[in-house]
Amino acid sequence: METDTAIESTPLVKIFGVRHLSPMGAWQLRRFLDEVKPTAVLIEGLADAGDLIADITRRDTKLPIAVLAYTQSPPVRTLVYPLARYSPEYQALCWATEHDVHVDFIDLPSDVFLALQDLRYREPVEHEPVEPDPAANDPDEPVPPENTPPENTLPENISPDNAPSDNAPSDNASPGNTSAPGKLERLGPENRISLYTQVATKMGEADYESYWERNFEHNRSTNSYRLACLEFGRGLRELDQGLPLGYAENLVREAFMRRRIVETIAAGHDPEKIVAIVGAYHASALTHQQAAMTDDELASLKRLPSKLTLMPYSYFKLSSQSGYGAGNEAPAYFELIWDALESQRLSEVPMRYLTMVARDLRRVGTHRSTAEVIEGVRLARTLSAMKDGMAPTLRDLQDAAVTVIGHGERSSIQEALARVEVGTEIGSLPAGVSRTSIQDDFDRELERLKLVKYRTAVKQDLALDLRENRQAKSEASAFLDLHRSSWLHRLSLLGVQFGMPARTRQDAATWAENWILQWSPEVEIALVESVLLGETVELAASFKFKTMLDECDSIDGASAAVSLACKCGLFDSLELARARLQELATDCTAFVAIAHAANELAMVIRYGDVRRFDPQPLVPLVDQLFVQGSLALFATANCDNNAAALATVGMEELNRVSQEYHDIVDETLWIEQLKRLSDSDDRNPLLSGYACSILLERSLMDSAQLAREVSRRLSPGIPADLGAGWFEGMSKRNRYALLARQALWEQLADYVSSLDDEQFKRALVFLRRAFGNFSPAEKRSIAENLGQYWGVAADNLSELLEQPMTEKEEAALNDLNDFDFGDV
Amino acid sequence: MAKKAVATDSNTPSTSPSGMSEPDDASNVASNTSVLRQPAEELFAHELDELIKADKHPKPTGWKMSPRSVLTYIVGGKCGNLTITPKYVGHDRLVEIAISTLVTDRALLLIGEPGTAKSWLSEHLSAAINGDSTKVVQGTAGTTEEQIRYTWNYAMLIAHGPSQQALVKSPIFRAMEAGAIARFEEITRCASEVQDAMISLLSEKRISVPELANEIPAQKGFSVIATANTRDRGVNDMSAALKRRFNLIVLPTPAKIETEIEIVTNRVRELASNLDLRAELPAADVVEKVVTIFRELRTGQTLDGKNKLKTSSGVLSTAEAISLLANSMALAGNFGTGTIGDDDIAAGLQGSVVKDEEKDKVVWSEYLNNVMKKRGAQWRGLYKSCSEHNA
Repeated sequence: METDTAIESTPLVKIFGVRHLSPMGAWQLRRFLDEVKPTAVLIEGLADAGDLIADITRRDTKLPIAVLAYTQSPPVRTLVYPLARYSPEYQALCWATEHDVHVDFIDLPSDVFLALQDLRYREPVEHEPVEPDPAANDPDEPVPPENTPPENTLPENISPDNAPSDNAPSDNASPGNTSAPGKLERLGPENRISLYTQVATKMGEADYESYWERNFEHNRSTNSYRLACLEFGRGLRELDQGLPLGYAENLVREAFMRRRIVETIAAGHDPEKIVAIVGAYHASALTHQQAAMTDDELASLKRLPSKLTLMPYSYFKLSSQSGYGAGNEAPAYFELIWDALESQRLSEVPMRYLTMVARDLRRVGTHRSTAEVIEGVRLARTLSAMKDGMAPTLRDLQDAAVTVIGHGERSSIQEALARVEVGTEIGSLPAGVSRTSIQDDFDRELERLKLVKYRTAVKQDLALDLRENRQAKSEASAFLDLHRSSWLHRLSLLGVQFGMPARTRQDAATWAENWILQWSPEVEIALVESVLLGETVELAASFKFKTMLDECDSIDGASAAVSLACKCGLFDSLELARARLQELATDCTAFVAIAHAANELAMVIRYGDVRRFDPQPLVPLVDQLFVQGSLALFATANCDNNAAALATVGMEELNRVSQEYHDIVDETLWIEQLKRLSDSDDRNPLLSGYACSILLERSLMDSAQLAREVSRRLSPGIPADLGAGWFEGMSKRNRYALLARQALWEQLADYVSSLDDEQFKRALVFLRRAFGNFSPAEKRSIAENLGQYWGVAADNLSELLEQPMTEKEEAALNDLNDFDFGDV
Repeated sequence: MAKKAVATDSNTPSTSPSGMSEPDDASNVASNTSVLRQPAEELFAHELDELIKADKHPKPTGWKMSPRSVLTYIVGGKCGNLTITPKYVGHDRLVEIAISTLVTDRALLLIGEPGTAKSWLSEHLSAAINGDSTKVVQGTAGTTEEQIRYTWNYAMLIAHGPSQQALVKSPIFRAMEAGAIARFEEITRCASEVQDAMISLLSEKRISVPELANEIPAQKGFSVIATANTRDRGVNDMSAALKRRFNLIVLPTPAKIETEIEIVTNRVRELASNLDLRAELPAADVVEKVVTIFRELRTGQTLDGKNKLKTSSGVLSTAEAISLLANSMALAGNFGTGTIGDDDIAAGLQGSVVKDEEKDKVVWSEYLNNVMKKRGAQWRGLYKSCSEHNA
């Protein structure tokens, strides 16, 4: 293939191969540029991102940032090219800007790239073998976020929720993207990994990162990096054959790069005065001997309409510790190398690293001495010398830190290592720099809601009090917390993970909310993807909400939507949700679901005050649901014990609604239904008992009635499971109401003594269950009640009851386990 | 002439300096029949010689070979035509760190659970670095400071007063004089005061003998390899001051079952030839079963992670698995068929697992019934024997 011939061929222009995110690459590149003094600098990067160069190199742009490309219509595809201060590409951009020479990106434009990526999503479905990730092939390629599994079926999914995961990998994305190989290693399928590991193993290194750092990042001699990279890239190409899709994709990209280079030459630049900066993998493929892409070929490429934007990035995201591939494992450490290179102090890196680790440990209270740092440096140097390295690599430093500073325990210094290696650095862009409307909206809202200080990678707590602040002068500040809450709820509806709800201490307080706020690049990516749903957070949230509602087909979901709309402060949507709920409720006869919905709505109405909206439109619906629920109760009660357990929850909820909103719901109906259920003998006894206990609790049943009912339920001849089941239902609620009624216990005692042996065994099981979760104090009260009835001193009885069981009794109980309960 | 001698040397693997060992069938392990356990430098003299001969890298002062050759000796590899047997498997990086530590003249402390090859590694390190692994202080609760520094031949002391002749030097003293590695086994078993005698030795790197009014500086190459247990009764914590003078390496239990099986198989083979155990080597599946049981009970869950298990009070280290199998071979050789049977293994397992009668017995019988019994026909025999032993 072309590659083979390329080896002997002459490059089109001066080529500088790099690994993305390589400090030594960046440093040597700057020296190379100083030496060549090119008139044009060409960089592997999205061809249509040229407009962004001015913004990337602006003085007040703080790295790390990333170029984000996204499709304009679903399915959402995104590409991320992260850039750090030590990215060779970034330094090249800076150099070109400082020297005012022509600079441009020469890789495929984003629309073609995204189309290629789209292909990858689909491809695997057609034939498995392709699965090996294409990304793997090309080290530097801006890989689509995708290296995520092909089986990823979200292609058509608009939901921004997926977005983060999508992009994540994208970090691989090129320019910024890390070392090519590193990325490959992480993203690629197994066999790929072994390829890079093989290289490393051959060189006697345990992993590829160490191999790279040892051989590339510490050699400052002129041209060493450039030549080594060229060789390395060639080697990779030879090893890397036979992954059709990815390999082909690389060829397409290289053809396009050649085309761009030829164009630049045609524009009048001297080929000797052009420097092209590309991933090591492509370095040997940009030669005269290989054809540049023709117009026809270019026209034949599939495209997906796309847009580009810049976004702030973070070291955390860059590091693989964040769980995504991409990037460097240790961005802060690489920055340390970069700074050391710039200040001519590369040899101090080990001292700095270990000192920082020790200082970090001291900061959190673990004392580590300077002497230990010195010993650590010595150990790291020896470890490196055993491999003939020029300087300790990160792995040597880590091992030295564990051995000397961590006293052999990695876990004790793991956190310190992460802080020193990864860091919490977050980039930022000056206001107004190429952003999507929704990002601008996000920033405006941050400002308006006074949340700007939460825009950090460090988690921070935010406690909200939704009530009006009566001391505040303006309305905006009086309801600041309320607005914040609505906004945060909208964001989480959109899947933008800026705020995570935290537990509130006071469950019942409708006005208190706790959030944990943390900004991350995923937030930005999710935001950008949400732009497809609407131009502002509010619009996007409404749209998302509507879609959700349309898909919702259960009364549960609809009632949840109502409450969500209320929390998000989307009051127009609230009406939609209400209508939808009403529509669904009409056909619904499931008691539990209705009760649940009624309760949920009732909660929303309760929120009304705090959330400042008029709950009136919801009131008729609560009433409707309430009536439906009440009427469904009796029919529902004809069920088995499992269903009955759920039904009791529903009864509890409806009962709460009836008490809280007795002015708006038909309470009489509910009580009638309860009475009916309580009186009937053909329904589930547990539910009948439960209904009875509600009535009792509401003082709708006096002691005489109760006594009659108990005696009826527990009369001899009624199967024990029915009688005891009823009692179980009865005892599920307010126990004090039961304990206070002496008559009840007398009845029960008589009932028990009236049972024959077999019946007693049956009843015992149910009664044990019923009393099982009574507290000792409650049991003592029962004992008192019974004692009074039997004329025994309460103390004696209670003592008797609380005695541990004798062996004989225990055996008798064990025998019960073998008792055949039949259908019970 | 000299050339010729070298040539013959490489043909006959039996050239330990003493010339005592017999040529040994294709193995690099020379065997000396009368000594119960030979030190590593004699057992592997052949490998050491070859490595020294082939060594091209610079040697630190006082070392017999370069750090890289030491690494090869420990983790195995090739040296010319000779295959170096791995002595410590599975954690090469730890060995690199250990060797580097000694290069920087820092003292090395190997810690870990009983049976994680601490002493084994320490012995081989000093054998490779100095060709002498015998300068050992064996720490016990009764170890005194004199045993670490020096003591006197009291008859001479009384007869002639303090003199060089009357001085009885400790192994550490001798190592300092010779610029060699001293080993301190089980340092945490010594009383804290005694441990602290090491502090000044390690920081000053000199030992003073006030009675003779002189002070002996350590020669280059002197260092200490200490070992310590993390989990045992009767250990004394090391003071922070002493800890700070060591580079600490925690030796883990083998990470993968394959590694552990390999270690056990190799060591059992070596032991069998050293100890003349007249039984067949345990079959692969026997080793696997024993290692599986040990790992499961050690980690408190089955290998597939599906079942949680109780752990026994015994440590169930790799070393114990090795001795269990050797023990079973002895049983089978002397009282059985010559082939290890389920019964031989069961007896050993019973002894290893059930250390604290009541509790461990329950653990073991739960394991037998909940795990082993359900493993199918292959395990049936072992299950039956174990159940009988545990009854």
